[in-house]
Amino acid sequence: MFDDKQTPQTQEGTKFSSVASVRDLKVHFKAKRGVVHAVDGVSFEIRDGETLGLVGETGCGKSVTGRSFLRLLPVPPGILAGGSVRFKPQAACVGCNGAGCDFCAGAGRAATGEQQVDLLKISDEQMRRIRGDRIAMIFQDPGKALNPTMTIGAQVSEVFLQHRSKDLLKKAGLRADIGGCVGRFAHQEPRFGDGILLRVPPNRENRKRVQKALNAMVASALADTQVPNPVKLMDRFPHELSGGMRQRVMIAQALACNPDLLIADEPTTALDVTVEARILDLIRDLQQRRKTSVLYISHDLSLVRRICDRVAVMYAGRIVEIGPSEEVFRNPRHPYTRGLIAAVPAAGIPRGQLAAIRGSVPELIDPPAACRFSGRCLYETSACRKHDPVLYNVSEGHSVACFIDHAAPSGDQPKYEKETS
Amino acid sequence: MSAVPKQHPSQEVLLSIRDVKKHYPIRDGALQRVVGSVRAVDGVSFDIRRGETVGLVGESGCGKTTLGRVISGLSDPTGGGVLYNLGQIGLQSVDGLQDNAARLFRRNCQMVFQDSFASLNPRHLVVDIVGRPLKVYKEASGSALTEKVVELLEQVGLGRQHLYRYPHQFSGGQRQRISIARALALDPEIIVLDEPTSALDVSVQAQILNLLNDLQKERNLAYLFITHDLSVVRHMADRLVVMYLGKVSEAGVASEVFQAPHHPYTKALMDSKPDLHEDRSETHTRGLGGIVPDPARPPQGCRFHTRCQSATPSCGWEVDDVIGLLEENQGIFEFMNGVERKSAFEAELSFDSEESAGLLAVALRSEQAPEAMKKALNRLQLNGNRVNLSFNQVDEVPLIQRAGGRESSCLLDPDEISIQGM
Repeated sequence: MFDDKQTPQTQEGTKFSSVASVRDLKVHFKAKRGVVHAVDGVSFEIRDGETLGLVGETGCGKSVTGRSFLRLLPVPPGILAGGSVRFKPQAACVGCNGAGCDFCAGAGRAATGEQQVDLLKISDEQMRRIRGDRIAMIFQDPGKALNPTMTIGAQVSEVFLQHRSKDLLKKAGLRADIGGCVGRFAHQEPRFGDGILLRVPPNRENRKRVQKALNAMVASALADTQVPNPVKLMDRFPHELSGGMRQRVMIAQALACNPDLLIADEPTTALDVTVEARILDLIRDLQQRRKTSVLYISHDLSLVRRICDRVAVMYAGRIVEIGPSEEVFRNPRHPYTRGLIAAVPAAGIPRGQLAAIRGSVPELIDPPAACRFSGRCLYETSACRKHDPVLYNVSEGHSVACFIDHAAPSGDQPKYEKETS
Repeated sequence: MSAVPKQHPSQEVLLSIRDVKKHYPIRDGALQRVVGSVRAVDGVSFDIRRGETVGLVGESGCGKTTLGRVISGLSDPTGGGVLYNLGQIGLQSVDGLQDNAARLFRRNCQMVFQDSFASLNPRHLVVDIVGRPLKVYKEASGSALTEKVVELLEQVGLGRQHLYRYPHQFSGGQRQRISIARALALDPEIIVLDEPTSALDVSVQAQILNLLNDLQKERNLAYLFITHDLSVVRHMADRLVVMYLGKVSEAGVASEVFQAPHHPYTKALMDSKPDLHEDRSETHTRGLGGIVPDPARPPQGCRFHTRCQSATPSCGWEVDDVIGLLEENQGIFEFMNGVERKSAFEAELSFDSEESAGLLAVALRSEQAPEAMKKALNRLQLNGNRVNLSFNQVDEVPLIQRAGGRESSCLLDPDEISIQGM
């Protein structure tokens, strides 16, 4: 069935161009009792225009992985212990502006010619330019992620002032390299005394023109997320909005600069199911129109199955299974993935007979060289406690880190009693 | 429709919730006068029978947690009451119970909360937390108490080694087990479970759900299972009560409700969360537009009509719906000066100019306005910069008895709803 059982997974980057690739990422945290290996050697790629789901339980390191793209981790106590996050900035194709044409081979995006950068190594200044512009993030709780003291309009404006100052000045009919207090206003670099200077003609007029252009940009960004009456919304404060509306504002903010990569960290967990369906439709719709790649972090399996092209299952700081979403859900190979899927209550399962995974997630302080799932696994053998499995290809694009599909270096091999076809 | 299958272990009603209302006053002004009330729970009735699980579902803010607190006696209802089966004397209002009877109700009705961090005292040891009800009711003391606590802990899958630990030393699932052990301490008849698993991971959730089921079988417990997760409630509940904005929108045997929902809201809830085990191609999801209306001023007629996709002209369209429509429309709402209400269904809107008044009339006839609302509009009169509006007066939609012991508060025929959008 699997010819290439013994060969380690080769890098898939040759077939698909990828917007970002994570190689052997290690993020550790210093704790009193030792070093917590929160993310311990994670490798995956995010292909152009795809939605990659990252699923796992609390504490498996999925959020830390997502945050390391934007270097939003507290260092210290965090330690970037190794690995790289390579990111290739792209831009909307000049020929078709994202619609897809011959020039960009229908992708809607073309490489900007900028070199691949390692997001973990670049300077803070470079990171600041990428963050929010080329890579954007949607957070779990929009109530916490939005600033309660700023109006919606002012918050969305910040993205444009940080990353789109030149466009803004052009739209306002001013020189793109205009200096002085108006230039500083458009770049959000206020200096002492600018407040007074901006009230003096002709600065006042120019500032008004910039503000007007800015408002138009914000309104169109908000309108993209299907909020009713965006102009009115701009004067509101976050607490005046419902959860779903706040999340729409967050999405507008994240997609304002048309990023190459969107990291969505449980964007609908704090929302009701009815609203969740709407928000998912919106993200999916915007993603398809703009050909943005999405890293979708979630613990909700049914949701990931619905919206993701590929899915990576994380357990205890490692990826245990990665593959096309339908393939992984229909034919899960790793015992943990199987356990997770079976644990979801579904129609037809008799009451009280849910397949719970026994035990609990191990502590990640200085883990031993053994399969992380050993101790909870139903199919475990002595080999699992001695050796650490790595990701092996089991079929096209589907890799599993378990000795079930490739022999352990020594000892016996675990087996499923019943093979699924 | 077939008759109700005899799924329940017993038909004896344990708790009867009768027209329970819980209103919270809104105070305003320098004197903090009461200017209105948030109708968190606004007339809910259902029964809980011995040994069965009743699922209570709804969106956040629909009043399900408030109702749970009223039922377990943590807050007093504004109107209506909870009746408790006292054996020989029959059903008695919990409010009027005295001394022994009140103590009996309190020990027989326990609660498990959603957030096990907040509901377990961080300064107390597990032995104190689980042993406290036993101490209060003078069930045991000394070493007998410790033994009883160990027994309880073993029932929920913990052990003697956990006796002298603090809550923070446990994982989320273990803490929820401690909460359950505490609720079981006095051998209650009913446990109100307020989102017991929504803070847990699926694999741990499965453990807890299995545990709850085993305990129910062993002790013939009744559960009121409050949750927003339909897959959990489908797995657990014998009967289902769906709440929307403080009212019951549908009630019935869980499996039947899941098979053919009789209320558009129930249907929307079910459509928005597909089963994990279904193929992607087969699932069709459709969320709900709009926002949950303000429970301080619930919509007239059917409370769901503002977001309902199958709303009819007689569902209770009112002036507030027109204003809601204007708010979404750029360039009209800004020019509105005031609203003079004669009733919820009749009002006079005044505008800055005739022009914007005309715009309103256009907006009301345009595609944006729901078809049912246009039909329900009785009168739309332009009078200079003023617009007179009136709708047909509609009474509140009651909970209607349907075939098979089901109830739903929708005017439409149940068959129509289950066909729509399939």
